[in-house]
This record gives sequence, structure tokens and C-alpha cells, in this order.
Amino acid sequence: MIQTMAWRNIWRSTTRSLVVIGAIAVGIWAALSLTGFATGMVKSYVNNAVQNIVSHIQVHQPDFLDENEVKYNIPDAGGVEQAIRAEPGVKAVSVRSVVKGMISSSQGARGVSIKGVEPEEEARVNALDENIVEGDYLSGEGRNPILVSDELAKKLNVKVRSKVVLNFQDRGGSITAAAFRVAGVFDTGNKPFDLSHVYVRRSDLNNLLSSAADSALAVGLLAHEIAIMVDDIRKVDTIASSLSAGLPGLEVQTYRQISPDLELYEGQIKNISLIYLTVIMLALVFGIINTMLMAVLERIKELGMLMAIGMNKLRVFLMIVLESVLLGLVAMPVGLLLGYITIDYVGKNGIDMSMYAKGLESFGMSSVIYFELAPIVYLQVAVGVFLTAVLASIYPALKAIRLKPVEALRTI
Amino acid sequence: MKVITTKGVVKIYNPDKIPVKALNGVDLEIEEGEFTAIVGPSGSGKTTLLNVIGGLDRPDEGDVEVGGHDIDAMSDNDLIDFRKQHIGFVFQAYNLIPVLTARENVEFVMLLQNRPKKERHERAEELLRAVGLDDKMDKRPSELSGGQQQRVAVARALAPKPDFILADEPTANLDSKSTANLLDIMARLNEEEKITFVFSTHDQRVIDRARRVVTLVDGKVATDEVRG
Repeated sequence: MIQTMAWRNIWRSTTRSLVVIGAIAVGIWAALSLTGFATGMVKSYVNNAVQNIVSHIQVHQPDFLDENEVKYNIPDAGGVEQAIRAEPGVKAVSVRSVVKGMISSSQGARGVSIKGVEPEEEARVNALDENIVEGDYLSGEGRNPILVSDELAKKLNVKVRSKVVLNFQDRGGSITAAAFRVAGVFDTGNKPFDLSHVYVRRSDLNNLLSSAADSALAVGLLAHEIAIMVDDIRKVDTIASSLSAGLPGLEVQTYRQISPDLELYEGQIKNISLIYLTVIMLALVFGIINTMLMAVLERIKELGMLMAIGMNKLRVFLMIVLESVLLGLVAMPVGLLLGYITIDYVGKNGIDMSMYAKGLESFGMSSVIYFELAPIVYLQVAVGVFLTAVLASIYPALKAIRLKPVEALRTI
Repeated sequence: MKVITTKGVVKIYNPDKIPVKALNGVDLEIEEGEFTAIVGPSGSGKTTLLNVIGGLDRPDEGDVEVGGHDIDAMSDNDLIDFRKQHIGFVFQAYNLIPVLTARENVEFVMLLQNRPKKERHERAEELLRAVGLDDKMDKRPSELSGGQQQRVAVARALAPKPDFILADEPTANLDSKSTANLLDIMARLNEEEKITFVFSTHDQRVIDRARRVVTLVDGKVATDEVRG
């Protein structure tokens, strides 16, 4: 019956209760949506980075990572590639030769990382082919085609079909220069990356990298980097450690190890939701305290009567706490549902941030953000609201039980 | 058997600023089965005396013994429990629980006593029938007249089977018909069920029906008249 009383009590002042229920629901909605937005943004950053730049897993010769020199290639790259393809969960593999060099046009020059790729395989690991904004993706035809980003094209003042020159050291240490023709212009959305990377065919690059000492067979298989995509990002760590065990002498890294910023961002998602939740719940605490205090103060006489006829302090205390919790429990499904609908909708349709996209893209995020939320966050918010309601009711409930029945009964 | 004994009870309000002696040495004994009116002009200490007897307030001096228990020796929470088990209250302003129906109001005190649901239900119906509210059991206080509300209050006061009922000006807000009706019910319960009633009043209609009239003047018992 105390539950019945508490329930009916909150509807004595319908408007006031609806206002505080609305506030709690909006608070829940805001906490969920903001967390969904933050998660979506981080995921967009991580996905962009994974798809366009780092892929899920990369394999290198350890010295290559430190020295970045072409002589530190992956020994028996063909065998390694086969071993990787045989690993369960591996979806796509791209073998690359990589060299640091300089790209120059008649208008300027920049230091870049030159990636020699097998066009078809690269397209399976990477969204590179989809990111072509002008011209064509790499193909088997033509002599020395190269892909540059639109940012780099602007700096160098080149267009599709323009000629550029690449300079780098070959395996023998001699400086080599070769002319390439711009086949296509790409845009990954990540400005720093775009400015510092160009793509050529692996066979073209390998020919240029070979020194007189290399045999033709070895040249064809020259590789510095193997990029891997797996079918489920959650399995990355398992697959990476299994690969690592099977590939002694090679360094197997997940995207988190390659780009520690990704790990940092991913780790921040949890903190972000807790921070949003805490701030919003703190604001709600005061709203609920205010409401419950009014509810207590306007029925001092009634509370005095309840104590006079034998309702003990614990029960009075619990009744006030229960009223507050009920307000929270009514608001909770409303807020959770609103949040779910928002996240589901924006998760499917995305929210266009192109007004701010310039800023976002320089950070490597897309201009359309898709909200995303881990199911656990709904639970966190639900528990958070419950605790908030209990916390907020303590002061009004203490106020209620400090009443002296005879004085309370005398109030009008 | 004595149910209430007060000896030299003094109650002072505002002891620090302007002290008001609401009770100034009240000696009173009330026997089981009495139907007693405590009367006196406004400010004579009627309500204070009822509060002190009912354990809602503590005397500054003197002893109050209710059903053999020393009120002053009990903690606040013990007093709440004591009131719940031994004393039924009827207030001037009815003071029903507005969100509960008549039946629920009567059941409520029994719920506080942790009585089983069936017993609560049956007793609530029985009591509401006894006060003539058979057809109003599921109405909330706001749907009842003042007289009906006060009858619910009497039923509620009786529900826990208290040692006695304290009624503070129970008819002050009622019209003549409701007053007569309420007094009939209380008198009948007193005669048939031997329930002890103590009420404060300055309503002549109530005083006429009382079998003992204690008059308070300036916080002291001025006259104590027992009628046949």
C-alpha cells in the first residue's frame, strides 16, 4: 500500500511531476544521444583510419619500422602472404613495397611515402579505389601510373595525366628518379595522410628499387608491408597474435599499435559517456531535489498525521525515496526509447556535419556522422538515473522524518 | 482499570522567549470504557493535554502513564510504534490520507501493524459498515462529505483495536446532522464494544452526550463532573 500511496502521491501534482519526468527523460535522451554522437565520431575516425590508411593488421620486417629503409624487406614475401591468407578470419591481404622519397612537378616538390601496390588486392584491403575523385584507379595498363591525392595535386599544381617525378634510393643505395603519369586523384578525407602518400603499381616500384645485385625473381617478390583486413574487427587481437606466432622474425601489429591515437580514441568512448552521464545526472539531481522538497513541504501536515497514527520514520523515509524513484522509473523508458529512436535513426541515416566538415576532415573524420551506441550504455544510463533519483530523494526524505508530528499537525 | 493516568503534568511552550504554560499541573485518571469530554475555553490546554496523552508531545514536568507504559521513557520511534498499537486518533480536520480510498485509509494502520491482507480487508469493511459507509468504501476523501470523512477517521482510529480513542474536536467542522450521526456512532461503539473515548471539544452537542466532563481552565483541571 505504501507503493500505491507513493504512486498516487506523484500524480497529485500532475504538472509538476510531468515537468520533472520530462526533464529526466530529456536528460536520458541527451546523455544517450551525445554518447552516440561521440561514439559515432570516434568510430568514424577509427573506421576511416582503418579503411583508408592502416587496415586492421600490418606485417613488417621489424627493422623496416625503425629505419624505414628499402633493404629491410619481408623475406619470402610470397610464402608469408600464403600463410596469412590461410589464417581463418582473414578477409583480404595486400602486399606492398614501400619507400620514402620525393615527388616533384614543375611547380614544387614534397616528401612522400611511395606505396607500390597490387591494384586489385589493394582495393580489397583499402577504400582507395572508391576514394578516386578524378581520373581512374590503378590498372595494369599504361606506363608508370601514379595516384596522388587532391591535396597533393593542388600543392604540386598537377592534374590527371600530368607528369611527376619520383626520387628515392634503391636497394643498392643509389638515388633513382623516374617519371610517372597521374592516373587518378584520390581523397581519403584525412588531409595529413593525403599530403604524404602516393600509390604506384608494385611491379613498377620494384623494378625501380632493384639494384644490379638483385635477381629478377627476387625483385618481383620484393615487399615491405602486408596489410590485412579481417572479417570482424573484434577478432583483430586474436588473429594478430595467431599470425605473430606463425610468422617468427616479423612484426605483426594491429591498427591500435600502428596508430596509438586510435586506441586512445577508442578508450575514450567509455569515459565520454560517463562524463556526459555524470554532468546530466548532476543537473537532474537538483531538479528532483526541488520537486521532492516541494512535495514534502506542501504535505507536512499529512506527514505529521502519518507519523501520529503510527507510520514509523523508516517507512516515511522509504515512501519519499520511492516517490522519487517512481518519477525516475516513469521517465526512464521514455528517455531510453527516445534515445534509442534517435540513435537508430541517425545510425542509419547519419547526420550531415558538412558545415564543420573542413575541420572534421583535417582530423580524418567523415562529414557524415552515424550515431552508434553500445547496448551497455543504456544499462549504465538506467542505473545512473536510478541512483540519481535515490540520491536526490535523500535530503527531502530526511526533511520529512525530522518533522515532529505534533508540530507538523499544527501547520495549516 | 485505569487506561490513562497523568500526574502534575506541565507543558510549557516557548520556554526561552515568552513562556506559555499550556498545562500547569494536570492530574487526571481515565478508566476503561469512559466516554469523556475535555472542555474549556480556547487556550485552556485541551489539545495539548490530548497530545501529551497520545504521546505526540512530551510533558516538561510530571508523569504520563498510558496502558501501564511510561510515555516519557520512550524514544520517538518507540512512541510511533506505541501509538500504532495502543491509541486511535481522530483529528479535527479529519486528516485522512487523500490518495487512499476510505477502505484503504482504514486498512492503512493495520498494514503498519503487518496484519494479514484478508484480516485487514474484512475488518475495514466491518468498521466502515459500522460507521454507515457501506456504499462509500472505494471513494477517496475528496469525494466524501466532512461528516463522512470524519466517520472514516473514526473507523480508521478503531482499526488497530486501540486501548482508547483520542478525538480532538471531532465535530468542529461538522453540521448538526453529521455531528449527531457521529456522536450516535461513537456512543454505540462505547456502549457495545466498550471502547474508551476521550475527546476535547467546546461543542455543546458533544458535551451533552458525554458521561464525564473535565473542564480545563488555564492549564488546570477546574471541574470534573461524572454523570450517571
